[in-house]
Amino acid sequence: MLGKRKPLWGKKKRLKSSYDAVIIGGGLHGLATAYYLAKEQGLTDVAIIEKRYIGLGGAGRNTAIVRANQRTQENVPLYKEALDLWPVLTKELDFNLMFNNCGNVNLMHSEAAMKAARMNVATAQFHGVESHLIDAKEAKALVPALNISEDITYPIHGAMYHPPGGIVRHDAVVWGLAKGAAKQGVHIHQQTEATAIHTGGGRITGVETTRGRISTNRVLVSAGGYSAGIINRMLGLRLPISVLTIQAMVTQPLKPILDHVVSSGAYHCYANQTLKGEIATGAHMDPWPNYTTQNTAHYIKHQAEALSDWLPCLRGVKFMRIWGGLADMTPDMAPIMDGNDPVGGLYMDCGWGYFGFKSCSAVGKYMAQYMATGNCPDILKPFHLRRYENHRLMGETAALVNYTPDN
Amino acid sequence: MALTLTCPICGKRNGYEFRFGGEDKGPRPPEEGLTPGAWCDYVHMNNCTAGVQKEWWFHRDGCGSWFTTWRDTTRNLEAEPPEANK
Repeated sequence: MLGKRKPLWGKKKRLKSSYDAVIIGGGLHGLATAYYLAKEQGLTDVAIIEKRYIGLGGAGRNTAIVRANQRTQENVPLYKEALDLWPVLTKELDFNLMFNNCGNVNLMHSEAAMKAARMNVATAQFHGVESHLIDAKEAKALVPALNISEDITYPIHGAMYHPPGGIVRHDAVVWGLAKGAAKQGVHIHQQTEATAIHTGGGRITGVETTRGRISTNRVLVSAGGYSAGIINRMLGLRLPISVLTIQAMVTQPLKPILDHVVSSGAYHCYANQTLKGEIATGAHMDPWPNYTTQNTAHYIKHQAEALSDWLPCLRGVKFMRIWGGLADMTPDMAPIMDGNDPVGGLYMDCGWGYFGFKSCSAVGKYMAQYMATGNCPDILKPFHLRRYENHRLMGETAALVNYTPDN
Repeated sequence: MALTLTCPICGKRNGYEFRFGGEDKGPRPPEEGLTPGAWCDYVHMNNCTAGVQKEWWFHRDGCGSWFTTWRDTTRNLEAEPPEANK
């Protein structure tokens, strides 16, 4: 085990002076786009430029939850396709992504929340996604550990039950996609930082990196929480994004007690049991923008209080690991995917907030199509940047609590 | 991530007493000749600085003042404004 091994995605490659496409950010969106560019669009001369190492950012810090029960008709089909792709990718990549479609239970704590859930369920069912409204007793039957008594801070009124969602092993997706992309000829350059993006005549001409200059006429910025800063610093384009640290943690391993991903908007808390037995839990976002990715005593206390209220069997259980990542929030809680505007050959895929993991498979597929043809696929059209100046913000904020710096 | 902010009236206080009020974007653009693009720029667009930036804060659980201060977003500490902005 301790021997020196070459990574799954092959030996370190020489950085060429020119590529057909350069992707900034070796996270899941970058890797998935590179994979589909090579596999479905025949564009194999692609470089992924990663400042540190692949999967270090949001790709390896999210809590691996996947689901397709969002609020708006523009978002749901995208997440549905992403959900449908996990078993397909597991086969295609010949890599076990450990997709466990255990189902999601979103707890509702008031009649108003039940009404909002009813709207979400209607949207899901319209798009052929399985989602049901259940009452507190049915929720208790699904999740026996649940406390449905009246004497907790936010008594449970019912829940939205979404059986096709669940958990995917996020590191396996990173490794599987890296392996799949490298096999088709994509170059993955780790420890390589993009320092400038060059333009000429309103078009992309190249990328400056710490290992030399690359000529290219297509660049995708998919650097997660760092995307907005990169685009502003290198191209002077400001985006409607706020970057916040979001925290998560796992408890010590326990015998099986939770068969679903259970979440609560009112408690700002979700919990699921990993295959190792740990209860993975999180959801708290810092109330002001920062890039620290640090944990806080404030949040550990909040998490313990919330869990011991609605999952009282966890009282006294110890937290074993804590960590933080970045969420780049937009005002309408929907991402920005755009291309060739205002710079020809510049593509951006950012503003995912805490939805980047659950969307990566489908987004990679369609961003690849966008980058190869220059034409925006219909499914991505609603996510263009100009919607903000046209006052066409999406209604995703209606789905849940509003996590923005304004809270 | 303990944050301490200096309120102009109450002095140094725990960051959780305050509400973040956004990046400082200068004065509100004049109504006359205002385009949707310029308005969007003022309302929505951010610099997302990883480093020291000027920003608005509201002392929500205190005296109720609105004030601007400089903060290092990579360390969550109040900071001196950069030389160029002094």
